[in-house]
Amino acid sequence: MKKFTFILAFIIVFTACKDNTIKVEDAAQGTEELKIETPLLAIADFDTKAGDFVSKEIKISGIVDHVCKHGGKKLLLVTDDGKVHVTSEERFEEALIGSEIALNGIVVEERIDEAYCLKMEEDNIKSHSEGKSSDDQFESKKQHIKEYRDQMKANNAEYISNYSLEYVSHLELK
Amino acid sequence: MRGLRKWSRILHRDIGYFFIFTSLIYGISGIALNHMSDWNPNYSVSINNFTTTVDLQNTSNVKSKILKLLDKVDNRGNYKKHYYPNDNKLKIFLRGGSSIMVNVKSGKGVTEYLKRRPIFYESNFLHYNPNRIWTWFSDAFAAALILFSITSLFMVKGKKGITGRGGIYLALGIIIPIVFLFFYL
Repeated sequence: MKKFTFILAFIIVFTACKDNTIKVEDAAQGTEELKIETPLLAIADFDTKAGDFVSKEIKISGIVDHVCKHGGKKLLLVTDDGKVHVTSEERFEEALIGSEIALNGIVVEERIDEAYCLKMEEDNIKSHSEGKSSDDQFESKKQHIKEYRDQMKANNAEYISNYSLEYVSHLELK
Repeated sequence: MRGLRKWSRILHRDIGYFFIFTSLIYGISGIALNHMSDWNPNYSVSINNFTTTVDLQNTSNVKSKILKLLDKVDNRGNYKKHYYPNDNKLKIFLRGGSSIMVNVKSGKGVTEYLKRRPIFYESNFLHYNPNRIWTWFSDAFAAALILFSITSLFMVKGKKGITGRGGIYLALGIIIPIVFLFFYL
């Protein structure tokens, strides 16, 4: 009997825990939030309009293209017209891949300037020399850095703003 | 000293039994996740190339055409969503995390099927601390590991204990991380 109780307790610990990774918010509540306060942005407009909402919460809809396999705390939201990167402190469920969701998130601005490019360059060389990245990855990142510099030069700007979202909640759309 | 040795053995043995399965979970997933850049620790991936004559250009009735394609290369019941990453490409999401990418101009496509790796998927899920209860349990496991380390110092006496061969192993176990830190920190 003691053994049985022990095994039962052990099984309960293993099976009773429902995961608390990011949950779908209550549908009714989500709709209400949308009506009252959260501005809705189309993914197509995100790159051009996100600058007006830095550190503010917005709502955006799209299909989950990808959940980062390294930790599951990043996802890529896409439509035919663009994409938005979303980061979270909690893990995203992989089952979200391919689902259409309405997501609330805080707009985060990352400024890419010459110092950032130099750091990227340094990390790229270090990573390649230590064998952590392949020749293709090394060249691809090098090209990426060049594109940043070209873009800054073309815009005659000291930095480029990259926008992403910090996850708040989401609602799965049918 | 005798009491300390006795209790070290008792605690090491009995708590050790309790955490055998947990040790296996963290051991298996630890190796799996350490090599994440070399493989997908959660899913096995199989690729299937195909060519289609179905016109999949971005039009209002494309969904029925996608379902027609799925009848040929997979199963229409698996359809989840689709979108066009660019003018040439269509990505179709299938249930279970699999997906299809088609070049709508050439008709050439690739299906990427994902299949959960048994044992690894579940072990990795737990390794990532899925909820608070598991965090408590894994904290208890971590505390037990500390206890195992301490009790192992007192379990055996004599030349096989900490004053003999055990001491040499202990020293090696300390030196390796320190040397690593010296060179790479």
